[in-house]
Amino acid sequence: MGLLQEAIFGVVTGSYIAIAAIGFTLIYGIVNMINFAYGEYLTLGAFVGFLAASAIPVPLPVAVVLAMIGGGVISIVLARGFFTPINHTGPVPMLLTSIGLGIAIRNAIRLFGGRSARYIETETTTFRFDGVPDVAIGSLDLLGGFFVTSEHLVVVGSAVAVFLAIHALLTRTDVGIAMRAMGDDESLARVRGIDTQLIRDSVWVLAGVLAGLAGVLMAIQTNVSSTTGFSHILQILSAAILGGAGSPYGAIIGAYVIGLALAISTAFLPSSMTGLSSAVAFAILIAVLLVKPSGIAGTEVREA
Amino acid sequence: MSLLEVVDLDAGYGDLQVLSGVDIHVDDGEYVTIVGPNGAGKSTVMKTIVGIATCLGGSIEYRGTDIAGMAPEEVAHERIGYVPQSDNVFPTLTVEENLRLGAYVLDEVPQDRKREVYDRFPALADRPGEDAGSLSGGQQQMLAMGCALMLDPDVLLLDEPSAGLAPDLVDDMFDRVDEINDAGTTILMVEQNAKEALRRCDRGYVLANGQNRYEDDGDALLDDEEVRREFLGG
Repeated sequence: MGLLQEAIFGVVTGSYIAIAAIGFTLIYGIVNMINFAYGEYLTLGAFVGFLAASAIPVPLPVAVVLAMIGGGVISIVLARGFFTPINHTGPVPMLLTSIGLGIAIRNAIRLFGGRSARYIETETTTFRFDGVPDVAIGSLDLLGGFFVTSEHLVVVGSAVAVFLAIHALLTRTDVGIAMRAMGDDESLARVRGIDTQLIRDSVWVLAGVLAGLAGVLMAIQTNVSSTTGFSHILQILSAAILGGAGSPYGAIIGAYVIGLALAISTAFLPSSMTGLSSAVAFAILIAVLLVKPSGIAGTEVREA
Repeated sequence: MSLLEVVDLDAGYGDLQVLSGVDIHVDDGEYVTIVGPNGAGKSTVMKTIVGIATCLGGSIEYRGTDIAGMAPEEVAHERIGYVPQSDNVFPTLTVEENLRLGAYVLDEVPQDRKREVYDRFPALADRPGEDAGSLSGGQQQMLAMGCALMLDPDVLLLDEPSAGLAPDLVDDMFDRVDEINDAGTTILMVEQNAKEALRRCDRGYVLANGQNRYEDDGDALLDDEEVRREFLGG
């Protein structure tokens, strides 16, 4: 397979990581906590989508919307139950709570849903481009024939739509500007009359909707199991930190860097060592943070 | 009746009491300053009025409503303009977005007020899309004042507006405050630059150790032998 094909896989991976990383980084920047249970929101959203598409069944776009709504509801309910009551205790107790909550949810899903992977039935169209010439350097092929599936296009298209919607929300609406203001300075936000609890709730719902979408896209692209979200949480976390924790724009860039690094490193690594590709992603993370500790788009490290 | 009346105020942060029995009143249209040494509790008076510091006793009446103990976001709905001493703009938001949030408690951004702010501070009008964090210290101070003015407040609370400004900008800042007061806005100002503040104001309070020490017309305080010796460096 050529490098071009790997890059396409990387863009697809980067797209759903980006959607999730935006939600993750908004929680970090505005609620001021690292939510390690966030991967489980993806899993739950993916299961909502799977159940809607297979058990009811509804058309796929409706299942995606239901997964997003489900993610939003799950996120605000969990926040109200576990995080809002301890919001005043600071980032560390909240992080620890989220780790525990994540373990509990993950195992609850496995208890009820079993270990096996589920597939969402989709009709996939594959677009092949075989006419592209190989440009070989040693064993590495820079171009070569490649293919794109309709699922790839749905994932990337959804991500672009999310980016535009998030940008519009954060720069055009009162609630979005208030979210950014809270990320800057919560005390001044209150002086301006911003109801900070309302904004935090909005962030929880938004992050849950994004998790639901990312999860169901992963399920469509591959499958859904109890560890769908958890197996991606380190990549989501890395994308958010790489981009500059708290910055949604940075998270998008970080996600594509991680996605491309994961995919392209598999082209360079011997086939027996492709398991190391996630290590490559973290090596990039470490290298970037050594040069710029605040991340790609980060301005300053926020005081806890 | 006073526009703003602070009576026998005890206040502080958590368990730490800073103010004890402070009385301050501000009449409609007045220009009042609070001066005093570092740690006197000057800023705490402001922070308690707007709900950031904890009110431990006494009352704060604004237009006859007791606002003591209200949360900051509730006080904001009383349309009291407040300019904190530092961290008074959102650095990653643009000038325009900062002004928009200045009017957050209003149903919509009053375009005529925004034009007035831009007219008053032309340096801001030149860069509406720039991040507030990239502005100079003086421009940030103007933006902070502009945000407070977006509410068309009856009273403007200024916490050390000259702090951190280059010396040549300090006079300009005091001129701005005079202009705002001349336009009918009541001013309550805390200042480190006591002599200049007392020269400009109608009436002043000297605070020390969290308590009232002196209260008189600004000029009278400037002429007072004891006040000069104790607080104005002779």
